[in-house]
Amino acid sequence: MTEKISRRDFLRLGAAGAATGVLAGCTSPRRWVVLEPFVRPPEQQVSGVATWYATTCRQCPAGCGVIVRLMNGRAVKLEGNPEHPLNRGKLCARGQAGLQMLYHPDRLSGPLLQSTRGSREFSAIDWNEGINRLFQALEKAGPAVAVFGGATMSDHLFDLFSRLLAAVDAPAPVIYDLYTELGGYRMLAQAMGQVYGRAALPAYRLAEADVVFSFGAEFLGTWTSAVRYGVEYGAFRSQPYGKRGLLVHFEPRQSSTAVTADDYVAIAPGSEGLVAGALLRIIADGNLGLPGRAESARGLAPSLDVDQAARESGIPLEALQRWARRFAEAERAVAIPGGALAGSSNGMLAARAIEALNVVSGSAPAGVNTTPPDLGLARKSLNTFADVQSLIARMRAGEVQVLLIHSTNPAYELPAAAGFLEALAQVPLVVSFGPIVDETAVWSDLILPDRSYLESFGYEVVSPDFGSPVVSSQQPVVTPVFDARATGDVLLTVARGIPAAAAAMPWGDEVDYLNQMVAGLPEAAYPASTPEEKRARFQQHGGWWPAPAAAAPALRPQPFTVTAQRAAFDGNETDYPYFLHVYPSVLLSDGRGASLPLLQGVPDPMTTIAWQSWVELHPATAGRLEIRDGDLLRVTSPHGEIVAAAYVTPGIRPDTVAIPAGQGHQDLGRYARDRGSNVVQLLGAALTDEGGGLRWNGVRVALARTGKRIATASLESKVGVTEGLGYE
Amino acid sequence: MSELETRLLDRGPSAAAAPKTELPSHKWTMLIDLDKCTGCNACVVACHVENNVPIRSEREVIRGHGQHWIRIERYWEGEGDAQRATFLPMLCQQCSNAPCEPVCPVYASVHSERENLNLQVYNRCVGTRFCGNNCPYRARQFNWFAPQFEGPITEMLNPDVTVRSGGVMEKCTFCVQRIRRVEEDALVEGRPLRDGEMVPACAQTCPTSAIVFGDRSDPQSQVAQRLGGQREFQVLEHLGTAPNVYYLKAGGSDGGAG
Repeated sequence: MTEKISRRDFLRLGAAGAATGVLAGCTSPRRWVVLEPFVRPPEQQVSGVATWYATTCRQCPAGCGVIVRLMNGRAVKLEGNPEHPLNRGKLCARGQAGLQMLYHPDRLSGPLLQSTRGSREFSAIDWNEGINRLFQALEKAGPAVAVFGGATMSDHLFDLFSRLLAAVDAPAPVIYDLYTELGGYRMLAQAMGQVYGRAALPAYRLAEADVVFSFGAEFLGTWTSAVRYGVEYGAFRSQPYGKRGLLVHFEPRQSSTAVTADDYVAIAPGSEGLVAGALLRIIADGNLGLPGRAESARGLAPSLDVDQAARESGIPLEALQRWARRFAEAERAVAIPGGALAGSSNGMLAARAIEALNVVSGSAPAGVNTTPPDLGLARKSLNTFADVQSLIARMRAGEVQVLLIHSTNPAYELPAAAGFLEALAQVPLVVSFGPIVDETAVWSDLILPDRSYLESFGYEVVSPDFGSPVVSSQQPVVTPVFDARATGDVLLTVARGIPAAAAAMPWGDEVDYLNQMVAGLPEAAYPASTPEEKRARFQQHGGWWPAPAAAAPALRPQPFTVTAQRAAFDGNETDYPYFLHVYPSVLLSDGRGASLPLLQGVPDPMTTIAWQSWVELHPATAGRLEIRDGDLLRVTSPHGEIVAAAYVTPGIRPDTVAIPAGQGHQDLGRYARDRGSNVVQLLGAALTDEGGGLRWNGVRVALARTGKRIATASLESKVGVTEGLGYE
Repeated sequence: MSELETRLLDRGPSAAAAPKTELPSHKWTMLIDLDKCTGCNACVVACHVENNVPIRSEREVIRGHGQHWIRIERYWEGEGDAQRATFLPMLCQQCSNAPCEPVCPVYASVHSERENLNLQVYNRCVGTRFCGNNCPYRARQFNWFAPQFEGPITEMLNPDVTVRSGGVMEKCTFCVQRIRRVEEDALVEGRPLRDGEMVPACAQTCPTSAIVFGDRSDPQSQVAQRLGGQREFQVLEHLGTAPNVYYLKAGGSDGGAG
C-alpha cells in the first residue's frame, strides 16, 4: 500500500516541513507529528545564526563600545562597535580577551565568608545571608562606612555607592587604582584645569596633525584609550593628498609607541618638562614658526639655559633646535603629556610646560576645550593618592567600621609603605565585590561576587571624550554563568532597610534606576520618540551620543606659568646606580589582565616574553655586571626589593632599568598566581610636589645577581644576537 | 524553503539543466601597512578567540612550542645606541607556490585554486610535520598536545571552527569560516561579494587599520587599488613562494587610501 517516494521528494518534503515537523508516514490520511525539543531555545536564537548585542568594554576605564557575537546563547567573540564614537569598530588586545573574564574557571559562585583574614579558608553562604550580614553591619556602622573603588567601576554603580554613602553621611567613595595612576589620569586632569580652567582628561586629535610630539605618552599601547589613539594614528599616517604626519617620541625606554615613531629620543628620566621648556625657549628666542607662535611662546617660555637643558635631558642641542623649528612651523602641531609624568616629583610642572606647546600651536585637546552639556548623569571623578592616604588614616584611627572594595585591588596595587594592610586590621568588616579572589579579597571577611561586565547592566560616561559627549551602555549579553549578583542590586536591597538610604535610592532594582536615568538623556544621534524606545535604542546602539554638531567655541587658555626642572629621585647614585622605569604592561595593564590566559600567553611586543616578568637592561649594563638573559636579579630600591629575570635589550638607556607592572600575584586565580614579581614593592609612598599624586616614577635601584637562572619564555630566539645559546 | 535550500536541492543529477551555482573564484589577498602597525597585539588575541587557537603554558613556550596563527615579530635595526625596533606581523603567507604542499604525504596541506588559499585538512593530517619544516615563515603550528580549555572557557569556543586535536598541524586560514559565511550570504541574495564584506578577525580589530583584506581579482577592491606601490614588498620574496600577503614598508604614505 505504500506510495513510492523518491529520496529527492523526501528531502523536499522534509525541508518544507522545516525543523519542527517531520513526515511520519505515508498512509492516508497523512499524519504530522510535531516534535517538541527537550529544551526550548529562546526565540531569537537559531542554530548556526549569530545574534549580536552591544555593550561596553570594562577592561580599562575608557569605555569602548563592543558588540558580542552569540551562538546558541554562548558569547564567542567580541568586536568593536562600529557605531560607537570612541573606538569606531576597533578593539585592543585586552578588549578582545574580555570573554575570558566572563568564562573564567576561577570565578566565584555565591558569596563567601572568611573567618580568619588571610587564611584563604572560605565558607560558602547563601545570598540572603551575605546581604543580611552587609545590611546589619551597615545599620550598625552609621556614617563609619567607606567605599574604595577602581576606575573600571561603571558610573551607575558609582552613583549608587555615592547615594548610599551620602544617605548615611559618610564621605564620598574613593576611586583610585594603579592603572589610572600609571596613566596619569588624575594629574593630567588637574593640569588641564590649571591651563584651560576645566579639569578633564585631555583627548588629542591626531588624525589631521602634521607633527605630534609625545612626551612619554604610551598612547599606542595603554594610555587612556589606546584603541581610539590607534584609530587616530592610522589616519595620521595616511592623510589626504599623500600627507603623512611626523611623530617624535621622548621616553627613556623604547615602548611600542617609540618603535612606531619617526624620531625617538631616549631622554633622561624625569626630564620631559625640561625638553618642553627648552623647545618653548628656542621658539621664543629664535622667533621661529608661523606668525604669532614666537610671541605666544615668549609669554610662556620658562627662563632656562637651553644648553644645560639639552645636556641634562641627553638630547643634542641641534636636534632640539631642529624639532623646535619643526613644531613651530607645522600648521597643526600637537604635544602629548604622557602618564609617566604623573609619577615624577615635577609632573604637574612638566605637564603644564608640555601643554604650553599646545597653547603656542593653538591645538587645545578635545575634552577640555568645550563645556559639555549637562546629561543629568553621575560620573566618577578619580581621587589622588593623597585622598587614599587620608582614607587609610581614617581606617587606622578606627573611623571606618565597614569598608566596601570594588574594582580595585589595593593589597596588590599600593606600595607597602602606604600601610593599607596594617590599617585594614582596624576595620571590623571588609567586604570585597571581586568576581575572583584577589589579594584584597584574601584580607576581607565577606566576598559578595559581582557579575562580570558582560552579564551586567550599567552606563559609563566615556572619558576621554574626543569632542562630543558619549554615554556608553552596558547590558547583559548572556545569562549569568555563575551565581554572582549585581552589586547595584545588592546595594538597592540593603538600602531598603536603611531609612535615609531608602529615600535616596527608591528603585526596585538597578534596571529601574537605569531606565529612569536613560529617559532623562537629551536627543540622540538615532531617532527615538517614546521613553520605552529611548531605552531600547540605548541598549541596541550601545549607548547615547548626539548627532554631530557644529564645533562649539574653544575655551581660551587661562594665564599660567611654566617652570622647568628635572625630577627628584629617591636613593643616591652610588648605592642605587639605576633609574627605575615602571610602565603598565601592554597586555596585563596594571595587573588586572594577569588572570586571563589569553593575555598571559600572548608575547609582550617589545620583549616577546609571555607568562613571565622581567627587568629590561641595556647591553652595556649587562656586560659590566656579567648578566645574561634569564639571570635572576635582586632589584633593590630604598623601599623594598624583588627578584626578577634579566632581559637584555638595546631599547633602554644604560642608566635605566625598566620593569613592567602586572605580574607577581599571590592570588587572582590559577593563571596569575605565583608568576614573576610585583614592581610596586619597589616603590615608596611619597607624594609628588604638586597635586597629591604617588611618586612612582622617582626611584633609583641597585642590581645584584642571585646566581640563579630561569629559562625565558620568549617567542624570539636570541641565538647569535645577544646570546650564544637560547637556553640551557 | 529558503533560496539557498532550493538551489542546493536543485543540484541533483535530474536538475542538470538548472543554472550553475558554483561559487565564484577569488584571489584573497592581505595587505599589511607596516607604517601603521603599532605592535599592539590586538590581532593576535582576536585570532586566538576567533579560531580557537589554544594558549600554551609557560613550559611549552620555553620549549619553543608557543602557538599563534599570527604573531608580532620584533626586529632590531641599526647599530649601537641607534638601534630601533620594528614590528612585522607574521602569519601564513598563503603562498601560491607553497613549499608546505608538495611535501605532505597525505594531502593534508592542499591548495584551493578557486580561492587562492592554502588549505589544511585537519582530519587528514597525520603529524609528519614535513610542512612545518618546509615553511620558510615558520607559520605552521604543531599541536604537541591536545589543547586544554579549562572550565567554562570551552563556552567561548567558536562553533564555526574545529578544535584541533593533538598531533595535528594548524595555521592561519585567512578566516576561511568567515569567507564561507559571506559567500553563502551573497549566494542566497544572488549577488557578487562586495569589497570589504569579508574581513578576517585580525583586520576587523586592528585599531590603526594596518591590515587590509580583499579580493585582488576585483580591480575596484581596496587591496587591488593599493597594490603595486613603491613601498610594497613580500617577505623572503626571492624564494619564489609567491605569497598572497603583501607588506608596505614603514616610513612612507601612499596617501588617502588608508
